[in-house]
Amino acid sequence: MSAPPPGTAQAAQATWADVNRDVIRTVGMPGDRYFAWMCLVALTLAAGVAAWAYQIWVGMGAAGKRTPQMWAMYITTFVFWIGIGHAGTLISAILYLFRAKWRTSVYRAAEAMTVFAVMTAGLFPLIHAGRMWFAYWLMPYPNQRYLWPNFKSPLVWDVFAISTYLTISVVFFIVGLVPDVAALRDQSTGIRKKIYAVISLGWEGSDSQWRHYRRAYGLLAALATPLVLSVHSVVSFDFAMALVPGWHSTLFAPFFVDGAIFSGFAMVLILLLPMRYLFNWYAYINEKHLDAMAKLILTTSLVLTYFYSCEVFTAWYSGDHFERASVFAKASKQYAWAYWLMYFCNSVVPMVLWSKKARTSVVTLYIVSILVIIGMWFERFNIIVPGLGFDFYPYTWGTYYPTITDTTIIIGSFAWFFILFLGFIRVMPSLSIVEVKEVLPHPMKHAHRGHH
Amino acid sequence: MSGMDRRSFFKVVATSGAAAVAGGCGPSAEKLIPYVSPPEDIVPGIPAYYSTVCRECPAGCGLVAKNRDGRIIKLEGNPDHPVNAGTLCIRGQAGLQGLYHPDRFRGALASGKPLAWEEAEKQLADRLGALAKAKQGSRIALVSGLETGSLGRLMDEWTRALGARPRIAYEPLGYEALRAANRITFGRDAIPDYGIGEATYLLSFGADFLETWLSPVGYATDFARMHAFTRGRAGTFVHVEPRQSMTAANADEWVKNAPGTEGLLALAMLKVIVDEGLQAAGADAGALRGAVRSADVAAAASASGVPADTIKRVAHDFARSRGGLAIGGGMAMTGPNATETLVAVNLLNVAVGAVGTRVRFGSESALSKSSPYADMMKLTQAMAQGQVDVLIFVGVNPVYNMPPRSGFAEALGKVAQVVSLATGPSETTARAHMVLPTLHPLESWGDYVPEEGVIGLMQPAMGPVEIDGKAVEAKSTGDILLSVGRQALGTEEGKGPLKWASFQEYVTEEWKKLAATFGGGKSFPDFWEASLKRGGVWRPVSAAGAAARVDATRVPAAPAKLEGDGTHALLVYPSARFYDGRGADKPWLQEAPDTMTQVAWDGWVEVPTETAAKLGLRRGDIVRLTSPHGSIELPAYPSELIHSGAVAVAMGQGHDFPGSYAIHGFSTPGTRPAGTHFLNVGANPMALLGFAPEAASGGLPHLAVKVSLTATGTRRPLAVPQATFNQDDREIAQHIGLAQARELELRGRAPEHASHPSMYPPLKYPEHRWGMAVDVDACIGCQACVVACVAENNVPVVGKEQVAYGRDQHWLRLERWQEGTPAHPENIFLPMFCQHCEVAPCEPVCPVYAAYHTQEGLNAQVYNRCVGTRYCGNNCPYHVRRFNWFSYAWTSPLDVQLNPDVTVRQLGVMEKCTMCLQRIVAGKAQARDENRPVKDGEIVTACQQTCPTQAITFGDLKEGGARVSRLSRSPRGYHVLEELGTRPAVTYLKKVVRAEAAATGGAEKGHKS
Repeated sequence: MSAPPPGTAQAAQATWADVNRDVIRTVGMPGDRYFAWMCLVALTLAAGVAAWAYQIWVGMGAAGKRTPQMWAMYITTFVFWIGIGHAGTLISAILYLFRAKWRTSVYRAAEAMTVFAVMTAGLFPLIHAGRMWFAYWLMPYPNQRYLWPNFKSPLVWDVFAISTYLTISVVFFIVGLVPDVAALRDQSTGIRKKIYAVISLGWEGSDSQWRHYRRAYGLLAALATPLVLSVHSVVSFDFAMALVPGWHSTLFAPFFVDGAIFSGFAMVLILLLPMRYLFNWYAYINEKHLDAMAKLILTTSLVLTYFYSCEVFTAWYSGDHFERASVFAKASKQYAWAYWLMYFCNSVVPMVLWSKKARTSVVTLYIVSILVIIGMWFERFNIIVPGLGFDFYPYTWGTYYPTITDTTIIIGSFAWFFILFLGFIRVMPSLSIVEVKEVLPHPMKHAHRGHH
Repeated sequence: MSGMDRRSFFKVVATSGAAAVAGGCGPSAEKLIPYVSPPEDIVPGIPAYYSTVCRECPAGCGLVAKNRDGRIIKLEGNPDHPVNAGTLCIRGQAGLQGLYHPDRFRGALASGKPLAWEEAEKQLADRLGALAKAKQGSRIALVSGLETGSLGRLMDEWTRALGARPRIAYEPLGYEALRAANRITFGRDAIPDYGIGEATYLLSFGADFLETWLSPVGYATDFARMHAFTRGRAGTFVHVEPRQSMTAANADEWVKNAPGTEGLLALAMLKVIVDEGLQAAGADAGALRGAVRSADVAAAASASGVPADTIKRVAHDFARSRGGLAIGGGMAMTGPNATETLVAVNLLNVAVGAVGTRVRFGSESALSKSSPYADMMKLTQAMAQGQVDVLIFVGVNPVYNMPPRSGFAEALGKVAQVVSLATGPSETTARAHMVLPTLHPLESWGDYVPEEGVIGLMQPAMGPVEIDGKAVEAKSTGDILLSVGRQALGTEEGKGPLKWASFQEYVTEEWKKLAATFGGGKSFPDFWEASLKRGGVWRPVSAAGAAARVDATRVPAAPAKLEGDGTHALLVYPSARFYDGRGADKPWLQEAPDTMTQVAWDGWVEVPTETAAKLGLRRGDIVRLTSPHGSIELPAYPSELIHSGAVAVAMGQGHDFPGSYAIHGFSTPGTRPAGTHFLNVGANPMALLGFAPEAASGGLPHLAVKVSLTATGTRRPLAVPQATFNQDDREIAQHIGLAQARELELRGRAPEHASHPSMYPPLKYPEHRWGMAVDVDACIGCQACVVACVAENNVPVVGKEQVAYGRDQHWLRLERWQEGTPAHPENIFLPMFCQHCEVAPCEPVCPVYAAYHTQEGLNAQVYNRCVGTRYCGNNCPYHVRRFNWFSYAWTSPLDVQLNPDVTVRQLGVMEKCTMCLQRIVAGKAQARDENRPVKDGEIVTACQQTCPTQAITFGDLKEGGARVSRLSRSPRGYHVLEELGTRPAVTYLKKVVRAEAAATGGAEKGHKS
């Protein structure tokens, strides 16, 4: 069978051999364009690292924080990245357990995104702490002075939630990679072969290995599933457990989880659409996949809109002066632009996805996804910055202004994410060879069956 | 002031006579223990207390300087002193920054270059000697500040010995018109003591007695006695002023009048009183009738904009109160007819029989002895005509304080030898040929008479400050004059008119004379020792009356005539923070916001909102003020609290000498360097004033010109930490009507405080539960507590830019909240600091237990443990937690002042009010040493200690009988943001609003749900 003609949106059904070839092709020696992009990203990252170093040297004052906005863009971006990760886990774990077949061609990239997003998010508590060199005090470790962290503090819960999430995601990710890396090992030579051999953990594709692999994978999927709900719930407790008007709400856990999946799918699209074009994966990621993800974005957007209205309604219905004033200030004072931008991006823009044409149009999806990402960043911003800016005490009300330092660090965090992701797609199979094959028609029975 | 007096008194007593020995030594402040063989009262780690006198303004409050290991770390009021009774104002608290100022002169300078002391003295003495020998002593002039004690007498002897011109005692705020009016009315060229504490109805015509007027600390204390609800008196205070000053904001009724019409109003009120026969029994009705013949209530009403009904009502109430006292003569009100205005005010006092009871001649103010401004003008003329060869300034800065139009600075150029005796640089030292550095008053011997019958004794509370490891080469003014004078006269020590070996000896000799009057039969050494401990000597002076002569030709007939054809009258008022400008280079004062505007650093012009709207001015837009005499540019501060025909500029900013803070402001390391936006420039309003003295008094009219306003189109944002004065219906600052407060007080039920159900067991306090009560009714908004806290707790200065951005580090802030109509609001001042909540929102969120609750009810912060997540800062509904955004620096030698009992917080940790934990620890240790429980009132926090009105009370809430417990149970008590259920340990007592003010001030706002 021949490869699908490049550039067509609709490609013919691929075969097992196509899969092997198309995926293994992505891990070859990259071209100059790739290196140019990597240089740009690395430079941005270097700027972010320099800005962080400056901030450590000079103090947190280098970032634009003030009383009362003692949290600002760092925590915004922390929550943002944690949220991004959730779509990956949802696709790889929950959809796996539900046997949603369309997930096979997107889950590897989504899972990589999860791991890297959590790695990015994990930096922010460090960046944010006034004395980051003592951040390890948040871990419970035995010590001579019997000093323990305060288990009542949501920040300590965060430490557990994030570290658990990172551990499970990484293990799940690595286990999923094993058979594919084995395939790469078989196709490569020299030093690459040796490295892949180590990572593939002696995978031979024997029946017993497959049996164990399936069990382990299922088990990990089952372990990861509750994390989709719990991690972001715990992150939301940072706010919900606090006293600040607009934060102290039982709504926050589901609100955050839904928002996380919403933004996560947007990020998956942002990453996959260019990959599909560059790697010519039209055969594997087709209209069906785009449509499914667009529907999920639409659904989560509707749920999110429901939560938004709940938030406003409860503020009004509670009769609580502080809650009402906080919502009113967010919608009408100096941060109103951010508030209405959030509504526009998260509640209005995804409504175009009611149309089937939009759900399958690459350009539309891409624009919608980027707007959703912006909107979701601002959702967290609106909770934190104007929320703190208009809380109980009018004396301190005021405006937070970002500085060059904190903006550079935020941009640097995107560079960190992309350097990891761009590196990954060139050394590892970013499309699951094994699982894509599962949903393709079986080739002839005699073909290379178990002769390793 | 119950136990506090006692305790502080004992401390002072404990220092014993060795204090005298200690002060005389030459210690160096930088070394840990600065004495080679320490005198017996310096014990490492144990503070010694020295009594002395505050010389930040002419009020002369008694001080106790806390000396730890040879360096003064804190100033507190002398509890024994009759002027201030243990309290201090914001300027007194900041006196230490003058002592430790980085700009202090290190040694003698000639033309700006270092010169050996001997050489400098010789040069000066040679010139003086030549003039004295040639009988040209009149070519020598000496200008000092107001020195009413031994130094003043020595300077007079010095000028006599050299045949020099009579000394000028120059006080920029000289209150000449008060004296002139008293001369006219009572035949006394003096400023009496006003019995504000005894008045039941205080009627002030622009006298800012809570800020700068005469003796603000003493009067604030008196005012609390007369006005605070807790004292049971609840007298009435009505203030007439075109601008709502801090004093006006404390009035039960603020009467906003057109500038310059105070005299007309006073006379109109007098007319109402006389016409209706309401005058006191002893008053000469006939004479008073003669005085008000020309007065017309309707005309006064239309000129001043004050309704005739108000004039009548105030006059009635004033006369009927049987305890009326009228005061006037605030600097902002001294127009070209100031004397006549004050004559009318005097007549009001005559009419209500206040003279001799509440207006007390006899215990006259030191300010009665300052030279009038006219003397300075005469000197200026003499200088300009080349009649002065040697001009010596002693601690004064006339180049800044005199209006530039007076030509003083130019005339200075005609003087061959200008010598300035000063501690630090100023405009005047910058123009002096020779600078002879003097010791700071806290390092010097001396005495000061703040009022008749009170003689404060000054002793060195430490040796000369060391800068960069070297003690400043400074001498006391007296020593310099003695040494130079003797060299000039060619006499030897022990002989001639200036025979004393040192100024200390001169002071001792003067006090030997006093021993006869005050000694009570004690031997001189005993008397001397007792006086040193006590901080001076005083005795009650019987209030003397004065016969009033009513001169109908000397009463105001028209509003003050202002020069120029501008649109707005210019109100130039003395700043409560900088006085006449002498405090402007103290960063503590710059960083403490002005209470009414809440502006920190920089200068501004208060512009009526209508005018601002017309000119399109927002806050911070620079506006040019032009008078016939000059023009200045300042950021605008649009305000509804000023008469529509006036603009106001505070004195004190706009310096132009190369100082560390007065010009350049302050910028925190790591922030961007102070650009033009954040320069602490301000402007000196004296540039707009004319120079002609008022004929009747010889004083400089401060309300003298009209200015026109031009928007410049440029901006310089002001640093205003308080975002809004409107509390948006939140129960932060609360008030209650007088009748209701009285009723509640009778019923005596403590209000129930909101409390939310909890899953945790109630907290137990085995020994103490510390708490505070703040009487909002007593708080006058003077900000003394803010600076006292800064001084006690090593709070850093962060500079204008950081304050503007909400990163000030003050643990205690003084908020001003407005209620009622914006143009005529009820103001509530609220000192806000850590509330030490029982259910503290900051505590559970800290991941590492850096914020935790002590067993004594304190909400503690462990700096060492803090990681800097700032979660506590978010979760504190009061936002009283302060984060160390940067590493803050103390320029040497300001770091010498740091309190060794308090940690200097490092970068990246959270900090906040500790209720002066170090004082609690010291108090408990003391009690343990004496094997007794801690006594109520024994431990006082720094803010409480300095509060002139005693609005703050600290103590153990577990002790039912403690003052703090009683106050916390007051029916007026409330907790800020009570509904959050934080259960603070700080109880605020609602401000009591008098019925009259409530009528104009807006709706009752007691309880609201």
